[in-house]
Amino acid sequence: MSASVEIKSLSKVFARQETNGTLQALDNINLSVPAGEFITLLGASGCGKSTLLRIIAGLEVPTFGEALFNGEGIRGTDSKRGLVFQEHTLFNWLTVRGNIEFALKSARRHAAKKSEVDSWLELAGLSEFANNFPHQLSGGMRQRAALVRALSVSPEVLLLDEPLGALDSFTRMSLQDELMRLWQERRNTMIMVTHDIDEAIYLSQRIVVMSPRPGRIAKVLEVPMSYPRNRAADDYTALRTQILKFMDFARDEQEEYII
Amino acid sequence: MNLTVRELRKLEGAPKTKFQRSLDRGLTALPFALATLLVAIYKLAPNFPKYAKNPIAYPVTNVYASFIGIAAVALLAFFVLSFFSAKAYESLLFKAPLYCAIFLVLGAYDIATLKTGILPLPYFPWVDRVLVAIIEDRKMLLDCIAHSLVLLFAGYITGTLAGLATGICAGWSARVRYWVMPLMKVLGPIPSTTWISIILIVASSLFGGSVFMIALGVWYPVSMSAFNGVSNIDKINFEVARTFGVKNAGLVFKVAIPAAMPSIFNGLTQGMSIACTALMVAEMLGVESGLGWYINWQRGWAEFAKMYAAVIIICLTFTGVNVVLNLAKKRALRWQEAKQ
Repeated sequence: MSASVEIKSLSKVFARQETNGTLQALDNINLSVPAGEFITLLGASGCGKSTLLRIIAGLEVPTFGEALFNGEGIRGTDSKRGLVFQEHTLFNWLTVRGNIEFALKSARRHAAKKSEVDSWLELAGLSEFANNFPHQLSGGMRQRAALVRALSVSPEVLLLDEPLGALDSFTRMSLQDELMRLWQERRNTMIMVTHDIDEAIYLSQRIVVMSPRPGRIAKVLEVPMSYPRNRAADDYTALRTQILKFMDFARDEQEEYII
Repeated sequence: MNLTVRELRKLEGAPKTKFQRSLDRGLTALPFALATLLVAIYKLAPNFPKYAKNPIAYPVTNVYASFIGIAAVALLAFFVLSFFSAKAYESLLFKAPLYCAIFLVLGAYDIATLKTGILPLPYFPWVDRVLVAIIEDRKMLLDCIAHSLVLLFAGYITGTLAGLATGICAGWSARVRYWVMPLMKVLGPIPSTTWISIILIVASSLFGGSVFMIALGVWYPVSMSAFNGVSNIDKINFEVARTFGVKNAGLVFKVAIPAAMPSIFNGLTQGMSIACTALMVAEMLGVESGLGWYINWQRGWAEFAKMYAAVIIICLTFTGVNVVLNLAKKRALRWQEAKQ
């Protein structure tokens, strides 16, 4: 099951407590994500990509405009819209199994079957570590557990906020493959935030390049390659160079703006 | 390779010389030797003439000798076992110096009181008299323990529940914090025992008043720690829970409280030590039962052996209570990273 997400003329302004002023994080964002798409929001830090994701999750409220989920306005969080954060997101006081049970029980309002939890643990490759607490796991294992916990409630949209950003490159690449496999199995809508160009090209069908202060959509790129993608292929590197050039250009403009 | 920590230490540590090893072996035998010596001195060395002349006024029984004797037998068994089990040997080697120190202190006290009278009666009864007092008055002491524990836990549980309620609510809601924080800031620094004089006058029942006083003492650290615990939780925990559809009360009970547990347990431990102090004050000044009252009452009769007996019982009781609390803490916080 998957669902569409639509962003219409959305702007977000934050209150800044230290200066008692405000700060615009997003400016007039328009984006339509059809059901089942894997789309990436790419940009340097401060371009508001995480804010946009949090608005879709229902953790933040848009200042102007609206965010629609299956055509309906988003009001608050819902287990249909799962979110995976960058790090520190497992509940430390629960075991790996307990974390997955927590998600299932909260989303459905009744306890999950043991066999179901077992199958999720197996998917994450964490069956042996089911009764371990998060601090006993490696960073990669923790992130796998967090990913599977978010997937376990079968969200129609999975929002990924730099989910692999804190991991070393080997772990990251293997988890990218894992993510790909999960998406191809389930075909739920995936919206991922990243600042890793390579990751964006490897995984997504479309890449939304954002520019900072305030966050705007600078360019939307199709990735016309079939899966699984080859990181060394010519069109892969060509697209990579194209995005790099474009982002360099965006940075020049930014520097001029500051001067 | 599956090494135990002990094997690892042995492999990596500096090898011991033969002399060191025989010294260690000798040390493991020392506690037994000292215990035997203690019994021998107690039974065989002449008592202070004043006590020896009047065995009816100054009875010297076999209770103390039996206690030390049992300890000696146990230590002998331990020593024999240590030849067969490396684990037992290391455990005994580790504990031997402490055991020796205990026996040396006991022996010195025995000599200073019963044998030479340097520390005079009635203020310094020898250990045998204290042990006999415990045995003779056991019914009364058990009754006092029960009364003390009932009062202690009535106050402790009341204070803990109130503290958790105010602390968690204040940590959770800015509106509650607005009203509760000033109250905590004013009441917090007042030692709860300050209220005893007012309670003695105002309270309709001394028991109720004492429960209130103990509860007040427990309330402050528990509410403070619960407040700090809840307000310092990483916001991301709540956000994650919300993405799974958890709302209001669920966030408090399933996220805020478990995440604040380490801090809450700090408050519970502090609260227990305050509760024990408040209990003693309440029993010594007003309540007519319990161990604190027993000490005061025996002081009136100049029964010093019984006072010491009560002190020992108080020590054992409070130690027991804290052991239980620590076990609960260990169990509840087993998810925390072990601190080295």
